[in-house]
Amino acid sequence: MKQVLDEVRGQLGGLIGKIWEEPGNRLCVLADKKSVVPVVRSLIEKLGMRFVFLFATDERKILGAFLIHYVFLRQAEGVFVTVKTEVRENDPVFPSVTPYVPQANWQEREIQDLFGLVAGGHPDPRRLVFHEDWPGSLHPLRKDFALPENLPRTGREYVFDRVEGDGVFEIPVGPVHAGIIEPGHFRFSSAGESILKLEIRHFYKHKGIEKLGEGKSPEDLILLAERVSGDNSLSHATACAQALESLSGLEIPPRARFIRVVLLELERLYNHVSDISGIALDVGFGFGAGQLTRIKEYLMRLNERVTGSRFLRSAVVPGGVRKDLSVSGKIFLADETKKIKKDFDEVIQIFWNVNSLVDRIRSTGVIKREVAEALAGVGPVARASGIDRDLRRDLSYAAYGNLLFMVPVFTEGDVESRMRVRIQEVHESFKLIHEALELMPEGAFRTDQKPLMPGRNALGCVESPRGECFHWIMTDGEGKITRWKIHSPSFVNWPLIEHAVLENIVPDFPLINKSMNLSYSGNDR
Amino acid sequence: MTLILSVFQAVLIAGFAPAVSWFIKKMKAVSQNRVGPRFFQVYFDLIKLFRKGMVISGTASWVFHAAPYVFFGGTIAAALMLPVIWKGALCGFMGDAILFVYLLALGRFFLVLAALDTGTAFGGMGSSREMFLSSLAEPALLLSFFSIGFHTKTLSLTGMMSVLAADSPHRVIFFVSLAFGAVLILAIAESGRIPVDNPATHLELTMVHEAMVLEYSGRYLALLEWGHQIKQLLFLTLLANLFFPWGIPDTFNAVPIVLSLLLYAGKIAVAAWVIGWIEIHFAKLRLFRVPDFLAVAFVLALLSFLGQLMVGRGA
Repeated sequence: MKQVLDEVRGQLGGLIGKIWEEPGNRLCVLADKKSVVPVVRSLIEKLGMRFVFLFATDERKILGAFLIHYVFLRQAEGVFVTVKTEVRENDPVFPSVTPYVPQANWQEREIQDLFGLVAGGHPDPRRLVFHEDWPGSLHPLRKDFALPENLPRTGREYVFDRVEGDGVFEIPVGPVHAGIIEPGHFRFSSAGESILKLEIRHFYKHKGIEKLGEGKSPEDLILLAERVSGDNSLSHATACAQALESLSGLEIPPRARFIRVVLLELERLYNHVSDISGIALDVGFGFGAGQLTRIKEYLMRLNERVTGSRFLRSAVVPGGVRKDLSVSGKIFLADETKKIKKDFDEVIQIFWNVNSLVDRIRSTGVIKREVAEALAGVGPVARASGIDRDLRRDLSYAAYGNLLFMVPVFTEGDVESRMRVRIQEVHESFKLIHEALELMPEGAFRTDQKPLMPGRNALGCVESPRGECFHWIMTDGEGKITRWKIHSPSFVNWPLIEHAVLENIVPDFPLINKSMNLSYSGNDR
Repeated sequence: MTLILSVFQAVLIAGFAPAVSWFIKKMKAVSQNRVGPRFFQVYFDLIKLFRKGMVISGTASWVFHAAPYVFFGGTIAAALMLPVIWKGALCGFMGDAILFVYLLALGRFFLVLAALDTGTAFGGMGSSREMFLSSLAEPALLLSFFSIGFHTKTLSLTGMMSVLAADSPHRVIFFVSLAFGAVLILAIAESGRIPVDNPATHLELTMVHEAMVLEYSGRYLALLEWGHQIKQLLFLTLLANLFFPWGIPDTFNAVPIVLSLLLYAGKIAVAAWVIGWIEIHFAKLRLFRVPDFLAVAFVLALLSFLGQLMVGRGA
């Protein structure tokens, strides 16, 4: 921490204002609007920091300005550095960092829509969260926002990038799809079967969850967090709980940490098994898909036996977990997972013997390492493209610091690599569950809640099955939640798909999409 | 009597076709630890579709309305040329094998036009893929018929079967087994099964046959589905009766006819089992790998033909 502070001060001395520490290994730096771009660039280029996400807060009541927070992570020390800059209402332009940090693209556009600030110099300032039909003057995350009785419709339309030339066709797909999946629009420009360009238009499921969370009690906030993305309920709930705990200064008991590991890995298990099954289904290998769906069902029933919920809902509370694991429960869990693992291994063995399956997934939908790095891909998608990044190991939250596990990394970046990463992670998850059950100490499984401290903010982070998931919560002067930022892995990974499909053919798109398995709901929030 | 039996054969094919689909579905379900549909479910599904109302695009022209009838009619007409349980067919004549191929092609042609007709993104995609694949499948099928016809000195389906049935089995194997391989591959391709097309997928972007019929509903869809099932059975019947032609009577006696019916059911079950087995054990091919697969059919048919040219047709 001290070292990072010195380095930041030494490198940026003249450019930055105040610099201070915040609980949870966080360093905050105040920078002037004009110097944001050089500060961001030197943090990344000179200090080897990783840009994680950016968001805005409306603090006009206290500071008389909006604040934009740029969050960086110094992986080696596990230290977060947050650069904050003020943007006044009468001059709502903030400098866009997108030309230097491509991953900021969507995040800055989100701020434009939700706060009505303007990203100056953004290469693509179109609407993102709100569609063109939404009135341009309404920005829900501003504190003085009031929803009008009748929402006027402006009737404007989104303009897609056009590819022109002989034999180039546009294929519009969605937002209503044939399967039971969520809404999202895909616009392909193709010549024959090969894809020249894909543009995605999402945010049909924007539910304003961040806004809904304002003023909620911690218990209610967790309920909302669980509904950000249905199959990653527990990850979002845990990240949210971590932030809430640090806001009220709670230290959760060691036993709860281990139980959280068990639950988080159970979530990873059923997600990954389901994803691999989806890949098999999309290449028309019904046998494999059917068998893995059966195993997924076992896993979900196991979830229900352990927590009472197939989707592990309501299992985590601020201060620990809702239910203890009994001795018999532990034995049951260990036995069942052992059986399921054996079953899973048998099916996967068959997978690799089906040449036609391997032929479909190999070299399909390649995401090059440079692309994944530039757009800061996360989760299995990044790990399949050679990026060694896993918050479980890098920040060792819950009890991950006490457990031994591997982080599988593959370098090809194709559908096969993404499947292999998941298969290995399933193995690691089984191992982690057994380890955690064995090492689990006796004692309390939750502590009593304390009220949230006023005027604070905290960050919670979890490596969800899809990748890094952050929850940042700020309280006002009375200890009420006044801003809740959810940074979901799908929001980061969706833009990657536009690159993954290039040089592929249209009928392979569903497979590529499935191999990334991105959440529409988690993306749209 | 000839007329009655011939019409009965066509009715048999039409009535039996959904059962074959059921058989393959059930096989797949069992491989996935599922119960699968009841036997009558496939029939109920067709009846349900026949009763339902239709939603038709406002931009649809007469082609869209005509296509289901042409497709179904063409397939039934093709069925009338095929000897099923008796060595004869209503429309059997010299050269009917070529008509058989092109009656099926006529249905396909109309279906492709109909898919383009409504101007949806997926219909056009399905059409272009269907044409792309059939341009490879059609010559292979014709060549298979020519190869068998060269051996049997006739291009009539009934004639081919009679000659082959009178031949000794080892000669049949020697001369036409390569063509059998070709027709097996074509049976898979023409009935839109894995590894060429996935009949069970919900992914619009990967569909071939299904993409073409996406705009159809109700009665039209029922006709198309049924027609497609009949087409599938036609190819299985080709496999069963052309390459295993023994035990099919040419008299009007009841006993041999009933025995022949049972034999036919058995042969179709085996053929359907093979198709199902392939469907369980393989994933769908990449679209651009399908031509390779169909090329195998073409090469097999060609080899069968060339082989006979070299060693003689073995009068």
